[in-house]
Amino acid sequence: MSGARVPVEDRTRFLERRELKTTRVLSLIGLVLLWELLARIGWVPRLFLPAPSSVAGEAVEMVASGELFRYLGSSLLRLGLGFALGALAGIVIGMAVGIASLAEAVVMPVIAATFPIPKIALLPLLILWLGIGEPPKVAVIALGVFFPMAINSFTGVRNADPLLARAAVSFGAGRWSVIRKVMLPSALPMIFAGLKLGAGTALLLLVAAEMIGAESGIGFLILHAQNIMETTKLMVGIVVLSLLGILSHWVLTRLERLAIPWKHN
Amino acid sequence: MRRLMAVALIAALAAAGTAAAQERKVKVGVLKLTSSAPIFVGVEKGFFKAFGIAPELVFFQAAAPIATALAAGQIEVGATGLTAALYNIVLQGEKLWIVADKGREWPGYPLVGIVVQRELWDKGEIRSVKDLRGKRIGLTTLGSTFHFHLGNILEKEGLKLADLKVIPLQAMPSTVEALKGKQVDAIMVPQPFPGRTEAEGFGKILAWAGDLYAWQIATVFYGKGFAADREKAVDFMKGYVKASRYYHDAVLVQKDGRVVPGRNYDEVVQITAKYTGARPEIIKIGFPYQDRNGRLLVPDIEKQMTWWVEHGFMKRAIPLKEIVDTSFVEAAIQAVKE
Repeated sequence: MSGARVPVEDRTRFLERRELKTTRVLSLIGLVLLWELLARIGWVPRLFLPAPSSVAGEAVEMVASGELFRYLGSSLLRLGLGFALGALAGIVIGMAVGIASLAEAVVMPVIAATFPIPKIALLPLLILWLGIGEPPKVAVIALGVFFPMAINSFTGVRNADPLLARAAVSFGAGRWSVIRKVMLPSALPMIFAGLKLGAGTALLLLVAAEMIGAESGIGFLILHAQNIMETTKLMVGIVVLSLLGILSHWVLTRLERLAIPWKHN
Repeated sequence: MRRLMAVALIAALAAAGTAAAQERKVKVGVLKLTSSAPIFVGVEKGFFKAFGIAPELVFFQAAAPIATALAAGQIEVGATGLTAALYNIVLQGEKLWIVADKGREWPGYPLVGIVVQRELWDKGEIRSVKDLRGKRIGLTTLGSTFHFHLGNILEKEGLKLADLKVIPLQAMPSTVEALKGKQVDAIMVPQPFPGRTEAEGFGKILAWAGDLYAWQIATVFYGKGFAADREKAVDFMKGYVKASRYYHDAVLVQKDGRVVPGRNYDEVVQITAKYTGARPEIIKIGFPYQDRNGRLLVPDIEKQMTWWVEHGFMKRAIPLKEIVDTSFVEAAIQAVKE
């Protein structure tokens, strides 16, 4: 007859998901410190893995001499042009296909057939068509961005609630008005998902394109540094690329919040 | 038990004895080019074998990766062009030694050719180095021997690298393809490629680069570990000096500006054709010059580093005594009688 409650240990506590914010930051710092340490005591030759401090030093030097901005500038131009062209074409065609059944019948089989081609494999062909220079580089990025954009825009339009379209029409909205005020906003979340996907692809293709017949750009910097065995410069190139990836994701997330405020309230 | 151990010990000693008498393997990184001919001759004629060395040839696509492989310890000896990569490897603390001549760009001896599109030549658009101004020139990589050579030729002619568009195409075959596909106006490639472009009709050799600027383009270099094994390193060099003399007497002796084929001319052509995969007629266009005894043009190494530093490919020059070691070739020349 024991009425007293016995506190029992919660044995599922180990499954609990905690945030551990400091540990997350420390893990990253720890990795960099370990890397620095390994390089300092000379366990790994600095030719093959330079210390983070010397990579940072090299980056500062390259910024000071303007070398880094020159490379970054030409990369950003290619990236911006290719991304804008690919995204615009993707959104327009994707939405058209999603709205009009004739467009779907014409375009969808073509997209389905060409989508699986790794875009990098098209680069030699594009160089043959467009010559060595900027056009094939921009074109391959545009192609890489176009497909995820077109498919996502199409899916976004398809997922729009038909009830909303009917409601708009019954309130007297015209065809254009329905597309602009109902279809486009409904497709926006998918479009932004496509943009984020496309940004990753664009970065990948940029590096590949800049490794063939280029004399500027971050991809060129990486390849060139490897050619002349300047490993620290090579690492600077890689770090800049990863920063570019993080930055583009951050910008797109910001834009998304502005464009689709109702999703984040 | 003790008897058994004694037997095992004797067996082990016997095995060690035969191992010592066996040939010592040496991994040598080379390119499949005419300029590697002395190495090929040394292997085929058994000159290395005579000194107890068994070279194992490792073929590469470009010169710079050979230096990297040497620094990483994947090969022990490299025999190829001097690139900015090689100097930068030493600059970043990995030791390796330039030890002997393996080919010079030399007037009258074809090695690297400046090849232009046949069409541009026929139209009279490019007939001299000066006509290259504003044109697109394809070569393997920036920082390669070709880049260095092109820069020096242009500077001799009063031009600069910035006066034309240098397009790096990574590999030699793709450089040739770019000329064929008219994506570039001219290229710089070593033999046997220039001969092939003329044979196939899309290229015209504008000039042999060695006629315009002479330098120590290719050398033999040793990795740190290999150089430390003095006896083995000198034995390898003995075989190399022998091969070098054989090569020189067969294909390099000139009279009145023309090569006088030596007694073994055809044999060296055949060996080179076999290793490079090019037809003998193309090989016969010419062999690169090198010192009969494999002696280096030491001051030129310093000149090269100065140029790389001036053009931003190296941070600073390396003192010669930290990168050049001629003691191996000198010891070998002493030891190998004519």
